[in-house]
Amino acid sequence: MLTAVKNQLRVCLLSIKYNIMREMLNKVTFLTNICFMMLNNASFLVQWAVLFRLKEDIGGYSFREVMLLWGLSASSFGLSHILFARVFSLPELIINGKLDAWLVLPKNVLLGVMTSATRTSAIGDLLYGILVVCLTGFQIKRILLFLLFTVTGAVIITAFALLVGSLSFWFVKTEIFGNQMLNVVISFATYPDGIFKGAAKFLLYSIIPTGMMVYQPVHMITDMDLGGLLMVLGYAVLLSVIAAAVFYRGLRNYSSGNLMGARV
Amino acid sequence: MNVIEAENLSKTFRVKQKEKGMKGSIRAVFKPKTEEIKAVNGVSFAVEEGEALAFIGPNGAGKSTTIKMLTGILYPDGGRVQVLGIDPTKKRKQLAYQIGTVFGQKEQLWTHLTPYDNFQFFGAIYDIPDRETEKRIGELTEIFELSAFLNTPVRNLSLGQRIRCEIAASLIHRPKVLFLDEPTIGLDPVVKENIRFLIRQMNREFHTTIFLTSHDIGDIEKLCRRVIIVNSGQIVLDDSMEHLKFADASLEDIIMRVYREKGKEEPAL
Repeated sequence: MLTAVKNQLRVCLLSIKYNIMREMLNKVTFLTNICFMMLNNASFLVQWAVLFRLKEDIGGYSFREVMLLWGLSASSFGLSHILFARVFSLPELIINGKLDAWLVLPKNVLLGVMTSATRTSAIGDLLYGILVVCLTGFQIKRILLFLLFTVTGAVIITAFALLVGSLSFWFVKTEIFGNQMLNVVISFATYPDGIFKGAAKFLLYSIIPTGMMVYQPVHMITDMDLGGLLMVLGYAVLLSVIAAAVFYRGLRNYSSGNLMGARV
Repeated sequence: MNVIEAENLSKTFRVKQKEKGMKGSIRAVFKPKTEEIKAVNGVSFAVEEGEALAFIGPNGAGKSTTIKMLTGILYPDGGRVQVLGIDPTKKRKQLAYQIGTVFGQKEQLWTHLTPYDNFQFFGAIYDIPDRETEKRIGELTEIFELSAFLNTPVRNLSLGQRIRCEIAASLIHRPKVLFLDEPTIGLDPVVKENIRFLIRQMNREFHTTIFLTSHDIGDIEKLCRRVIIVNSGQIVLDDSMEHLKFADASLEDIIMRVYREKGKEEPAL
């Protein structure tokens, strides 16, 4: 059992390494993608800086907390896209019957698919998040918590993408719905949760995973609470289990395709 | 001993139907229509260890669907299938350690990596220790004559070189059964002959069972000792190559006759 897990992990790491090697084929594109993503993220903070000149408190957040919110959103999104970028194009693989290459191998199909691609600009997102948390207060505990919540945030957004992407096993064109849902998660993750009330807030802490992905973690980085931490961890595990179960149930409906194709 | 056993194997696909034009598109939104297509309809056969079998038929006959059910890619709707005593629907991973697959139309190799790096990756996938992987890469390089381009990225190889690497990669774990789905598609006659020689060699030297689908008469004649022809999801002929050779017509004529009898379009032979 332990050997099987070790071997599976080895294949996943090799796959991630080869993905990054592929992205590095063109060094100029690789580096500019990373740098421009960091610049792009930074530009949004200028807008918030202007807003905070007009008002000291927005939805219970100070400028420092908004920076943290942006940093955590970017790093979670970044880590998820560095390791598991293919999950975000899962509907395309399902609809065009392109899962065959992983189904004939003696390894976990889901992990194989998930780790089969990366996104260069996501490295910029991750670096930007780490830079922001260092700039808003360099404390070891704070940075360690930030890194922990980057991992839980990445797990939550990946699991959510897997869940909505797996709907393509049953319904055609659900990639549009899936992309919209993912955009909702990302968009909300860049605003303080204090501005949302009632039903909107309930949705953000339940069906839409933004609350557990960034809001709750940002509160805990500033004011640690064990109950809240367990809630985030529990939510991440539960969502992952549900998403994997839906994927494997859907796999039974998979129709392989005959399109010419390459593993690129 | 039978290594492949299929009994009443069936697979049905639901395909959306749409009337022509914009009107049809709008109607399809409110009243979608689907049609059931029986891709494989009650197919039964067995393949013995070390056998080289051609599983052929016109386009859409159900060849690829059958191969995909035998390898665990697709779940059958009905019937029973066992490969090397394993049910692919229940123990897909366990089976994958013992079979190899080559789909001529789909690459399994990473195109930005060299064949050597790809073989190392496949070695890791099949849990082969590094030293053993190295030894097997050496053997395959010799058999498939890969040394000249072992360290060239796959994307820079010719189609013939790439297919040789694809087959070599599928053999790194020494599979007992090799599934080949149109392995020589798009290759020139010399490379085709080369590939056939290598497959024959695998079959003779390692007693690897070969399950081949191809539209190429040369592949069938030179590699296989038994032919199964499928049409409209059903087996219409199952005979030995030896027996077919004594028939009054050539293999090509026999195949064309069987295809035509079932009212299907002629294959590109």
